[in-house]
Amino acid sequence: MIQLFHVKKTYPGDPPVLDDITLRVDKGEFIWLTGPSGAGKSTLLRLLFCAEKPSSGQILIGGKNIGRISQVGVPYLRRNIGVVFQDFKLLDNRTVLENVGYALEVLGASDADIRERARRRLDQVGLSHKATSLPRRLSGGEQQRVAIARALVNEPTILLADEPTGNLDPSLTDSILQLLFDANARGTTVVVATHDRGLLQRWHRRTVGLERGKLVFDA
Amino acid sequence: MIAHVAWRLSRRAAVNLWRAPLPSLVSVLTIGLSLFIGATFVLGLFTARRLLTSWGAQPSITLYLDPATTDAQGRALSQQIRGRGDVDVRYVDAPAALQRLRVDLGELGPALDGLTQNPLPASVEIRPRAPLAAPSLRVLAAELEQLPGVRDVEYGREWLDKLEALGRGLRAFGAGALLAVLGAALMVVANTIRLAVYARRDEIEIMKLVGATDGYVRAPFLMEGALQGVLGAGVAVGVVLAAQHWLLPHASQAFAVAAGVGAPHLLPAHAAALLAAGALVGFVGSWIAVARFLKT
Repeated sequence: MIQLFHVKKTYPGDPPVLDDITLRVDKGEFIWLTGPSGAGKSTLLRLLFCAEKPSSGQILIGGKNIGRISQVGVPYLRRNIGVVFQDFKLLDNRTVLENVGYALEVLGASDADIRERARRRLDQVGLSHKATSLPRRLSGGEQQRVAIARALVNEPTILLADEPTGNLDPSLTDSILQLLFDANARGTTVVVATHDRGLLQRWHRRTVGLERGKLVFDA
Repeated sequence: MIAHVAWRLSRRAAVNLWRAPLPSLVSVLTIGLSLFIGATFVLGLFTARRLLTSWGAQPSITLYLDPATTDAQGRALSQQIRGRGDVDVRYVDAPAALQRLRVDLGELGPALDGLTQNPLPASVEIRPRAPLAAPSLRVLAAELEQLPGVRDVEYGREWLDKLEALGRGLRAFGAGALLAVLGAALMVVANTIRLAVYARRDEIEIMKLVGATDGYVRAPFLMEGALQGVLGAGVAVGVVLAAQHWLLPHASQAFAVAAGVGAPHLLPAHAAALLAAGALVGFVGSWIAVARFLKT
């Protein structure tokens, strides 16, 4: 599903952020991407959803070399990738339902279809009763649930999560992660970046370690 | 699908305008002011050109005949020219020319009594029936100069050259100044809209994150810009019309020098052009403003 071959990412004047990364993630797999701050986890995720291009090396997603995808083709690739961020990235002037439905709007779905599918996703994350609320009225955990619902609403084949529990109270962590495991159980390939070693110890999954841009272990 | 996506984007553009009334108002007024300046300038140019045309529109050509030409030959020549059909012709024989000079000299007229012979030649005065542009007048004068018995042609060549040069200068200056005004308006609008776009950069980021194409991201901003442009142009049209109604009657008196030249009026075609210019300025301004946010 995801393959990286000797991927390197550098910025002028700085040491490589990612250095010779070769990695394979199979379809339906769940992996932890771990390492200290500045290890290159977020950059790796940004490369996967084409927010940046590698300086060298190849990245294949679903067999497609994303380095060869034109700027015009990037949005269509992103429609198959759900992304969840530490800071949720919700629109404050839209309701919870509208935020979740946003990913369907760009696909050209009808209003009725958007409402129906967004409600179903909200129901799955346990927030159907908050559909008409604005995000700022929700707790951090609830906002992250909305972000996950938005990332999954168009049933992407890949879900990328960058420190999804980083801003949350530890008591909420498990419920958020459970949503990611549920998505994985439905067949979605999930890559979660975290520096929280406690999570890796509690939830045993394949773990890829990065340090100073290098892949240091894959277990 | 296209219809409901278009409807959704239009609705979003309208909602965005409504949700940010102050920036929208600033954009509308900026466009309105720029277009008002542009429109006033263009109307002023039209008036100046009409003024120049009116000054050069009633030219006359005088053919001075050879002193050896007899009166009968002079009249025959006049008749021949009259036969063209596009000019009024008047033959002035030598005694009549002298008499006219005597009248023109007024009190000094009797000084001519001392002349032993009439120094003035007979002439043919020609006035085109339709207003003629300077190049056509030159061609006509050159044709008439070739006629037998004609010694010299006079048609205010220097004055005509100056008018032409003035017209050319006015056109060049007008085009340059108009481009400058529109360019400045475009930049101001682009920057105003850029502020509005900047305020919504998070929304753009999220739209791109969930797979929106650049066109989908850009469309509501372009619609919003075009709508602001049309509203701004509406403001400009309103102000110009109000100025025409309230101020022009007074200003017209100042145009008394341009006898026969009416005060500038904003015609429906001008208003339509202004609205189209407003939409274009808003559209292009938005395009420029959004472009930099679509690079990531």
